[in-house]
Amino acid sequence: LRAVTSALTQSGSGPRGGAVAPAGAATAVLMATADAEGGAPAAALAWEDGTLIGRLLDQLAGLDVGSAHVIARPAATAALEPVVGAAGLPVRLQPSPGRPADLRTVADIARAATGAVVIAYADTVTQREALAGLLADPRVATGILGTAGHMARPFGYRTRVRRGRVMGASSAYHRVVSPNGTFLGVLKVAAADRERLVEVAEQLAALLERGLPPALEEELSAKGERWRRSLVLRAFRRAGVEPPEPEALETVALAPEDDAELARRLAGAREDVTALLLVGLVRAGLHVGVSGLRRLFWARPLSEPAVEHARERIADHDEDRALLDSSVKRSDGFFTTFFVSPYSKYIARWAARRGLTPNQVTLASAALGAIAAAAFATGHRPGLVVGAVLLQLAFTLDCVDGQLARYTRTFSKLGAWLDSIFDRGKEYLVFAGLAIGASRAGDPVWLLAGSALGLQIMRHAVDFSYPVTQHQLIAATPQPPIEAPSDSRRQTLPDDDRPEPEPDAEAEREPRPAAPPPRRGLRSRLRAVWRAGDRSSKVVWVKKVIAFPIGERFAAISLTAALFSPRVTFIVLLAWGGFAAAYVLVGRALRSLA
Amino acid sequence: MSAATVPMASARSERPSVLELYRDDGPVAAAIGAAAGRSVPLPAIGLLLLAILPGLVAILVAGDGAPRGIVAAAVVWAVVLGGLSSGRPLTDRMRWAVPPALRALEYGGLLWIAAVAGASSLPAGFAVLCAITYHHYDVVYGLRHRGVALPRWVQAAGGGWDGRLLGALVLLLVGALPAGFYVMAALIAVLFVGETVAEWRRVGRTQRPVYDDEEDEAD
Repeated sequence: LRAVTSALTQSGSGPRGGAVAPAGAATAVLMATADAEGGAPAAALAWEDGTLIGRLLDQLAGLDVGSAHVIARPAATAALEPVVGAAGLPVRLQPSPGRPADLRTVADIARAATGAVVIAYADTVTQREALAGLLADPRVATGILGTAGHMARPFGYRTRVRRGRVMGASSAYHRVVSPNGTFLGVLKVAAADRERLVEVAEQLAALLERGLPPALEEELSAKGERWRRSLVLRAFRRAGVEPPEPEALETVALAPEDDAELARRLAGAREDVTALLLVGLVRAGLHVGVSGLRRLFWARPLSEPAVEHARERIADHDEDRALLDSSVKRSDGFFTTFFVSPYSKYIARWAARRGLTPNQVTLASAALGAIAAAAFATGHRPGLVVGAVLLQLAFTLDCVDGQLARYTRTFSKLGAWLDSIFDRGKEYLVFAGLAIGASRAGDPVWLLAGSALGLQIMRHAVDFSYPVTQHQLIAATPQPPIEAPSDSRRQTLPDDDRPEPEPDAEAEREPRPAAPPPRRGLRSRLRAVWRAGDRSSKVVWVKKVIAFPIGERFAAISLTAALFSPRVTFIVLLAWGGFAAAYVLVGRALRSLA
Repeated sequence: MSAATVPMASARSERPSVLELYRDDGPVAAAIGAAAGRSVPLPAIGLLLLAILPGLVAILVAGDGAPRGIVAAAVVWAVVLGGLSSGRPLTDRMRWAVPPALRALEYGGLLWIAAVAGASSLPAGFAVLCAITYHHYDVVYGLRHRGVALPRWVQAAGGGWDGRLLGALVLLLVGALPAGFYVMAALIAVLFVGETVAEWRRVGRTQRPVYDDEEDEAD
């Protein structure tokens, strides 16, 4: 360690003397090794009154990044020096002759850092909120900025993400089978994982010094060929001309500007150690999460026209709008998605502007739930109607607290715990209120109430336990060594992970031998029947309604209690919940055993 | 998921795995499992289905009119077989069904005991279920958001599913229902809520959650 620290103090000539972050603050490492035209670093391209890298540095400074290092080729440092001097945080320029040195510099920085390490392309153009989602969200430890969309086609490196974890990543030299996402060039390594980053960076540096295995070099040439082909196809599409046969594409020459773009991307790909580091971390088995781009803007322009294009488009992305839309939980049920979230997000924004905290909203929701239960406990019709209305208000606030937390990024352990416990508590308090009211009205339903409660607990126990086995399966998935270009298709994938239909012309394909169709057992055929229709969104919504999630339950309670009686409420809860339990149990048993 | 504190899979002798914590075994079940669980060539879920079956048949046949001897036999049978299942490794493909089966066993058994004791015991039984419910959610959410399992003595003092079933059975046989259920509900609530409050004071409030996965959120 001592040697490293001294190496750090000797190397570089940062304009502000050094780049030591305040203890615990994140350290950024910006890779300015991709060139624009003429050998100047793309990071130094002009953006408004500054440069791409200057803009990024200012964004990072606003997100509590304490210091930054900029890695660039020695020839390019002159162009970057004035830029980094004007940045809003201490920056050190780290001249580096090549990729092994890049990686060793990263390792040194990670060793000396005290907080998280953020590695990014210095020429990234994105919005503050996109970076904040990765850097300022305490729920993402080590993670990447990623998207499920088709960003950065065709050059972006694809990823395969399962249950919020990156299971496969690609680089210039690596490919991913069945990709379902794209890496957007920003990687955060949590303080606790820094040692792993050091190991991986050293390992990659040694690999590059030895010379890459031929299989990896072949992968890059295959990528170059694929990129070329997709640029040819794009040119035909833009010209509105039917493209020729695939075999003939090889002979079509690219337009000069496309050719230059391809050459730039290929050169950049060779120099790109950020993607290599991601592959290394994933292959080393590190838990790498994902923060989604949502509807925000991202681009990696490597030329002046590309910067111009990005500037035109970034204005179309309203950051507040995107943040508000993405505050809605992705996996909500039908009732919540269509009858609550559309307006509850505006309540969340209003609450944010009034300075209300998620915990306050949680407590207000719990109080409303308690009053609703008390109203149900009166046992007479007006009480039941008032209770039904109050319960719906309580449920709305239930959605608001989470949306407010995501919108304002105020997450706390206690808040998350309170939210979860009070959600459940409200429901069972309402059960008790209804049962007390029923007794007062001369129709005791305690056995039904107890059964409904037991059934719901059992259903939740399934929802808690089943993902545990899925996570065990994911954690046990072996990762191929870094020397292998492809991650294998032949691995046990947990369910919900059927390969998605590849939307991309640049799909990474694994050559498949024409084997006879495998014999399918009864179980796998049952499983196929179970999943038939999952591609249709209508079927998915029907399945969600069948599963009787919380929005549907609260709606059923309110309606049946207000219109009929607590007895009817509990019978509906037991019938619908029982059907849902049977449906989910059979489905998951089939998936487990198939 | 809180890998630092809770291993994903474990041998029973070391720290328990997540699913083992979700089981919520008490001292009785753990002792039975440790003594004889290894020698039973059945997966845990198979043992649990066998544990539930006689009681289920008795409920369907006799309902709340079942003789107390039958209730006692069915509960003891369920505790013995469920206890044996605690000694089985949770490595089979259906291991996720074990905690829900234990919940069904416990909540169903307690409701049956309350019903057999008479209609006036049912509200008391509901109170007991509510207190246990709090505990069962806190086992999950506490692990997620505080990153720690319950201290062993609290877990043991709560009786586990087995201890609570046997306790309820004794209350039924000595004729202490419904009052006994109210006392039981209060004791369980005080124990587990008190433990939660103490635990939150220890953990502090500001750190990030150790576990957050929206997709795993029950709703």
